[in-house]
Amino acid sequence: MKKMKKIIALLLAVSMVGAMGACSGSNQSTTDNSSSAAEGSTENGESSEAPTATDDEGLTPKEGGVLVIAQSASPAKLDPVEYTGTYEGYIIDQVCDTLVDMSQDGEIIPSLATEWTVSDDGLCYTFTLRDDVYFHPGKYQDGRKMVADDVKYSLERSNELSANSRIKIDHCEVVDDTTVKVYLPSPSATFLTTLTDTGNSIVPQEEVEGWGDQFGAHLVGTGPFMMKEFSLDEKCELVRNDKYWAAKPNLDGVTFTVVTEAEQTLNGLQAGDIDMASLSGESIKLAREDKNLTVLENQALQFSYIYFNMVNGPTADKEVRKALVMGVNRQDLCDATYPYDSATVASLPLPPGSWAYDASLEDLVPDYDPEGAKQVLADAGYADGLDLDFYTSDSKSSMDMATVAQAEWQQIGVNINIQTSEWGTFSEYCANGKCDIFAMAWTWYADPYFYLNYLFHSSHIGSQGNGQGFNVPEVDELLDQAEQETDQDTRAKLYQEAIKKIVAEYPQVDYANRKNITGVTSRVHGFKMSTDNAFDLCSSEANVWIEE
Amino acid sequence: MVKTILRRLLQMIPVLFVVVTLTFILTRMIPGNPATAVLGPQATTEDIAKMEEKMGLNKSKIEQYGMYWNDILHGDFGTSYAYGTPVLDLLGQRIPNTLVLSLTSLVLALLIGIPIGVYSAVHQNTAFDYIFMFLALLGISVPIFWFALMMVLVFAVNLGWFPAMGIGDWSNGFWGYVQYMVLPVICLTLHPMATFARISRSSTLETINTDYIKAMRSKGLSEPKLLWKHAFKNALPPIITVVGMQLAYCVTGAMLTETIFSWPGMGMLIVKAVTNRDYSLIQGTVVIVALVFIVVNLLVDLAYMLVNPKVSYEGGGKN
Repeated sequence: MKKMKKIIALLLAVSMVGAMGACSGSNQSTTDNSSSAAEGSTENGESSEAPTATDDEGLTPKEGGVLVIAQSASPAKLDPVEYTGTYEGYIIDQVCDTLVDMSQDGEIIPSLATEWTVSDDGLCYTFTLRDDVYFHPGKYQDGRKMVADDVKYSLERSNELSANSRIKIDHCEVVDDTTVKVYLPSPSATFLTTLTDTGNSIVPQEEVEGWGDQFGAHLVGTGPFMMKEFSLDEKCELVRNDKYWAAKPNLDGVTFTVVTEAEQTLNGLQAGDIDMASLSGESIKLAREDKNLTVLENQALQFSYIYFNMVNGPTADKEVRKALVMGVNRQDLCDATYPYDSATVASLPLPPGSWAYDASLEDLVPDYDPEGAKQVLADAGYADGLDLDFYTSDSKSSMDMATVAQAEWQQIGVNINIQTSEWGTFSEYCANGKCDIFAMAWTWYADPYFYLNYLFHSSHIGSQGNGQGFNVPEVDELLDQAEQETDQDTRAKLYQEAIKKIVAEYPQVDYANRKNITGVTSRVHGFKMSTDNAFDLCSSEANVWIEE
Repeated sequence: MVKTILRRLLQMIPVLFVVVTLTFILTRMIPGNPATAVLGPQATTEDIAKMEEKMGLNKSKIEQYGMYWNDILHGDFGTSYAYGTPVLDLLGQRIPNTLVLSLTSLVLALLIGIPIGVYSAVHQNTAFDYIFMFLALLGISVPIFWFALMMVLVFAVNLGWFPAMGIGDWSNGFWGYVQYMVLPVICLTLHPMATFARISRSSTLETINTDYIKAMRSKGLSEPKLLWKHAFKNALPPIITVVGMQLAYCVTGAMLTETIFSWPGMGMLIVKAVTNRDYSLIQGTVVIVALVFIVVNLLVDLAYMLVNPKVSYEGGGKN
């Protein structure tokens, strides 16, 4: 008996060690998890789905099957005028169409409108509509034809009600069933781009008014898939629209589910519960090693940056900002935030994918030069160093990046106090100009307007975009001019001029351009991500299919 | 007894008042603007102002508090900003999902945990006792998050026996629903089961070593009768206390498990509510969870009285 006790005691001791290992293992995954969850929200307006590839394999597409797409955040409001996140946009995009569309290469292409003309003063756009488009049958209409009245109704509704301003128009005028004129309050070069926004989808008035608040849950449009069932936080089931005008979808249906944990996303892909999901962190590495998964990558229209307060505190001094820009190695920040080769190093406050991007301007941003930075600080009267608060969201990647920046700035005598908070708190602090330094990321269309105006136009002071209080009248002027101008080359030049003036103020450190990384099971073919972070499962350009 | 219940129900009123008021104050104290949280970084200052007005945030805090009480007294817990749905509807959809998980786990934990504990007590210091008490220690110590991911890796990814995530549909038959429950329920059962096993072991040990049990044994009472009728009944009060605590744990613990398994219950709801600064939804959920705790406490106290009539809450006469 005594011997037995000894053996058991020994067994206990051995397994205890095992249990401790288990505990530390768990800490690891908990941290990883919280990081990916918070990163999703840091880049709130950003894509959580992604990229390029497949279907050039010479295989014959097959009909049938349901594609399961996992999203990291839960869609709640699917009425186009109420949507606020990309995870909602992805669903609406499959159910609804817009007047014009963005091609996979970022060009404006026809969709519900076949052609359009612009008046000389740039204030009136005349659209000719397709004659063969029908709404999905719903409770309040039986699948009637889409006509010019619907365009007028939908655009004016969006103009009036959109949660985030999606469009700025004066009014619409119906000429006949297939012709509609849209009048703008002032000329806008970005008008066609804003028309591609999901918020400007064309919807039938009867359904919107019939369902009222519940229209989003019973969304009706003209797209390739019809909404079958929407259960909050659970799933959204779409089924094929056989009468889709562009092509007959190969898929029987699409199901969007919600998986908030990054580890579970990969598990779901590997177990076959989901077919497609955006990947982050270590999942990227593990998915690349898995033969049954395809990892699709493309450059997102995105950049990550560290902003300096330009109104209050020591960073209001341009020389201090210059020293901070010189005192940090952007490559190190990029590697810390986006490991596993999931980003490339950046220099400018515009994604390289934008048509106004000019690589020659990169030289205007000073290189990493700690000695030079120390000198600049000394000349500015901070020879003894200074203390600054650095605010980031509490995602692991942001905290890793802040730690690297802290160590490098320490070398030039800047003592950084890192303040992390979850997204809700963080977003308020940085919009209110309360932070010396804060880290953000920005993503949108290829048009520079959606970056430069939101981040550097004085009219956006007080929002998160221009939370630093950037206020340079010459930059405002250039940006306004570029917004009114319609010629793209002229606009590009104006924006490049603006970037020169912006960079000269040392407002921020732009350190990374993230990639969209999507894990797809090998049975999925023909999926491609557009440069503007949207995707079509069936359109004039794509028709995804599944190998059963 | 009826008097006790009535008195306890009346006591709930001030408790709920404090809960509602504290939640209101705390939600307003967390930094973060619900309008920016909902709209995201791309919102312009005008968008934010428009949304604040829609949410009623432009009114003074006192006005908001008054309106909130007025609504609650009319049975209206407000509308969630983020979901655009009345809070009560949302909770109505979610509570059943959470209860399915937590009650199943609790029942399983009781059915497995208590017999193991009692058996271990009776067979103290045997191999069975050592092994199961070690497993129970492990069950209490293992972090749920890690355990859940390991379960998924083994049973969903490698073996493919159960789905890795999601909720089933009754229209696909019994198994179509239950197969989705297996992994989350195992995760949720682990901790309470281990706790029950340990508590019932120590509590039973204490009673079977008392003089009156020894006396009964010497009178020749059969062991099973001695154990279950006399010893176990007296060992019950600590177990009941823990059941109460664990029921509350199951409801709150379900939140983490739900998030991992994408199970649409209260857990996912409240996590999102806090992230979005969804005031009405946070308040509604907290009030409901507070109610659960209050009712469970009441039930536990009543259970004491049933097990041991000497227990009284009428003042005096405590055992």
